[in-house]
Amino acid sequence: MKKFFRFAAFFLIFFFITMSRVYAESNYVLPYPSSMPGGMSYNFHLLYESVSKYWYFGNFGQFNYNLKLADKYLVEAKTLFEYKQYLLGYKALKKSDQYFINILPNLARARRNGKNMLHKRVIFKESTRKHIETLEKMEVDTPDTFNWQPEKASPTILDIKGAIEYSINVRKKDL
Amino acid sequence: MKKLTVILYSVFLLLFTIFSYIFVDPNLSYFKNIYSGFAFSNRSLTTIFYTLFILIFFIFYGIFVYFGVKKKISLKEISVLFGITVVVLLLSYPAMLSYDIFNYIATSKVLFFYHENPYIVMPIEFMGDPLLAFTHAANKIALYGPVWITLTGIPYFLGFGNFIINLFALKFLAGVFYLTTIFIVWKISKNIISLILVAFNPLIVIETLISGHNDIVMIFLALLSFFLLAKKKIFLATLFFASAIFIKYTTALLLPVFLFIVWKTITRKEIHFEKIFYYSSLLMYIAFLLSPIREEIYPWYAIWFLSFVFLVPNKKILLHTSIAFSFSLLFRYTPYMLTGTYAGLTPFAKEIISFTPPALVLIYYGLKKRV
Repeated sequence: MKKFFRFAAFFLIFFFITMSRVYAESNYVLPYPSSMPGGMSYNFHLLYESVSKYWYFGNFGQFNYNLKLADKYLVEAKTLFEYKQYLLGYKALKKSDQYFINILPNLARARRNGKNMLHKRVIFKESTRKHIETLEKMEVDTPDTFNWQPEKASPTILDIKGAIEYSINVRKKDL
Repeated sequence: MKKLTVILYSVFLLLFTIFSYIFVDPNLSYFKNIYSGFAFSNRSLTTIFYTLFILIFFIFYGIFVYFGVKKKISLKEISVLFGITVVVLLLSYPAMLSYDIFNYIATSKVLFFYHENPYIVMPIEFMGDPLLAFTHAANKIALYGPVWITLTGIPYFLGFGNFIINLFALKFLAGVFYLTTIFIVWKISKNIISLILVAFNPLIVIETLISGHNDIVMIFLALLSFFLLAKKKIFLATLFFASAIFIKYTTALLLPVFLFIVWKTITRKEIHFEKIFYYSSLLMYIAFLLSPIREEIYPWYAIWFLSFVFLVPNKKILLHTSIAFSFSLLFRYTPYMLTGTYAGLTPFAKEIISFTPPALVLIYYGLKKRV
């Protein structure tokens, strides 16, 4: 009987832990990392991004465009931080923030144009949760600051922790 | 040609048009006053009627071709028959056999009403839009080229927001391209048999004037570009050929033929257009037979090769196989019409129905050659 209770207690604890983990994580899936700065194709990617801005016209189009790039640069920042490329990662994170800030105004415009944006709103919330989740993990794994020493210029201290916290706040504001 | 034939043909077309309305979709709220549900509750009877209509249509087709061969029909009489066909069938219900026309409207609405890119945003993303109730491919981004999407803007704006006007204006657009195709076929061939074969082929007529498929637009532009090449107008020909590709990308398969004619024109060598149309029809056959790679063989894809085959009516095996295809492909609809399901035996039955008559024609010619 004692064995049964022990097993039941273990099972219940395990069940609640895993259940709570499922609820905490967003179902939204971030993309794979694409080409990284310094790579041959990276400049082509940048060019493609600037051109495709016009291809993604319309409120929903711009929503998709900005969300796609906010995701892309977040993944890029995460990957670069993992490889200790802090300056490049920092820049990618700033880009991700910029694209993220551009998402919501497009939904507001869509609503003003009479488009039902409830589904997009759900996608936006899911993605925001995923972004915050990723950023919080990133915050643990990266140093708070980094002293960037360029070859022919004065050194700069990168406030990585501050940047990540800013990114989290930007996202939390719209959640 | 006897007046009786014209009267009977007109009555037949009128009955076929009335018959098309038994297929009105239950979710098509715009047609709720004429919705009967007959085709969905009386499947066997509907299939029998449909089969009879197609058989009669082919009998008329045979009669017109016979009149053409025997020189018993004038160009004026063909024009009259042609006019009757267009006017009567443009009034038919367009989604009798395919829902593509609703997809065209939904795609044009994404661009012209919502001002979104249809190659990125799907119609289904506009929750609450009344079109979603009956549009079958709302979960797909635009499948056709930008020239076609631009053209659908004409019926869209002519409709002034009225769905029914938009729907029939789109059919009218298909009708206009049907007329221009027939005109260009006549200009190219100057052959009354070719004219009759294209103008009254039941598959071309049904898929264009009833279902409003855009394949006729693609074919018109491709034929026009070949016609212009014959007149040595390379720039205009290139423009129209590119337009044809951007209606449906299938036309790109004709690129080798197109370039060959351009080369012949530049080098001032003689061009044998009979050979050009023969090879074009073969290339379009390849496109048709390869279509299952993308999705499946749809009956209206036959328009691609039929238009070219009918320009070389002396290639008997090709001609008869193609006519057999146009006959069998119209029966490809019957398994679903009868069972109401795309599953089970339906896919198998569709293939058997589609390929048996052309296979029999080929076997006949094979045996004939041996004897």
